[in-house]
Amino acid sequence: MAIDRTSIDFDHSRFAKGLARGLAGALVFALPMFLTMEMWELGLYIDRSRLLLLLLVNIPLLILLARRIGFENISTWREAVRDASIAYFLGLTASAFVLSAIGVLSAAQALPGAAGMIAIQTVPASIGALLGRSELGQRDEDDEDAQDPIDDDMQTGYGGELFMMAVGALFLGLNVAPTEEMILISFKMSPWHAIALIVSSILLMHGFVYALSFLGGHELEEGTPGWHALIRFTMPGYMIAFSISLYCLWTFHRLDGIALTQAIMSTVVLAFPSAIGAAAARLIL
Amino acid sequence: MAKSARSGSTDSGQAHWIEWLTGSLSAICVISLIGWVGFEAMTQNEAPPVLSVSIVSSEARPGGYIVIFEVENAADRTAADVVVRGEITNGSSVVETVEVTLDYVPMHSRTRGGLIFRNDPEGRSRISATGFSEP
Repeated sequence: MAIDRTSIDFDHSRFAKGLARGLAGALVFALPMFLTMEMWELGLYIDRSRLLLLLLVNIPLLILLARRIGFENISTWREAVRDASIAYFLGLTASAFVLSAIGVLSAAQALPGAAGMIAIQTVPASIGALLGRSELGQRDEDDEDAQDPIDDDMQTGYGGELFMMAVGALFLGLNVAPTEEMILISFKMSPWHAIALIVSSILLMHGFVYALSFLGGHELEEGTPGWHALIRFTMPGYMIAFSISLYCLWTFHRLDGIALTQAIMSTVVLAFPSAIGAAAARLIL
Repeated sequence: MAKSARSGSTDSGQAHWIEWLTGSLSAICVISLIGWVGFEAMTQNEAPPVLSVSIVSSEARPGGYIVIFEVENAADRTAADVVVRGEITNGSSVVETVEVTLDYVPMHSRTRGGLIFRNDPEGRSRISATGFSEP
């Protein structure tokens, strides 16, 4: 653990490997967004107070994420904050690098626009960096963790389960949230389509976790009726996916001047991938 | 990482009351969500978009006179590619015509846009929506 480590036995190659994994994670998670035209444009016109809020919300998210699924055995909040800061920085580096490499950022560009473009991409990239540091990590370290009873207890906690669903919803939802298709689909849909989409999102979520026997899937204790899990996990999971979708669409200016019903329909469209992401997170993370 | 439960885990049958509270609140939210959209589904009609244009502001700027307008769609259907045309008339003749296309004007919503005239539009401009497509 980092706390026992003195400066003498600090493992440089391991640290460098961790950083490289973080960068890889940032790319895997955020590359679709780096290559999305709407994200570049958003960087230019996004309301700066919304951008600030997004950047601030990202800080506790990263710290909680580091605490739960950090790179090493993270036992203190101090280490979680350290890992979160590194991930944030890696996200910033990755987005500045990729945006320059694909020619979206140019030296001739005005600074506020360029800063906005990098900043908005930093958020998904930093989440990816943190996930990458753990998910692409070495298995032998992970196995040690799996034996740790405290860690195991945390993994199955109710709040933790809901948090992981939120992360999963962000993971899949953020990829498509900035695209025009989200609102276009909701314009094409009738309210009946929306209802069908809500119901099928919930059924798919529930099926993903309980019915299909994926590796890492959950099973109910003997004698527990199926609707217990539906109320306790799937319904809150869907509301989390819905709320996150709503926040993403609002942040990306997709709900400005839009009537309530239309806003709900757009959110329902985005909540579909988010809900799948939330369910998948319960299996994977 | 490291879920012990790579091989699956069991959710306990004994739940804390907070879990039931969260679950029930969420279920109520989902049901009201479906209820609201269902109500809209019953009451909406299929009439085509009804577009009206109102001028928000008009001022002189270097490069022209900027007129900011707002298009409101009062119907239950969304209009796409809404063409808004502004004309400056002098008596019966049209002095200047400018046009702009808005991507979407969703149902019961407003979208803003701007037109740039070379002549002063004060008191002699006409701005109206001239066409749209279905999304």
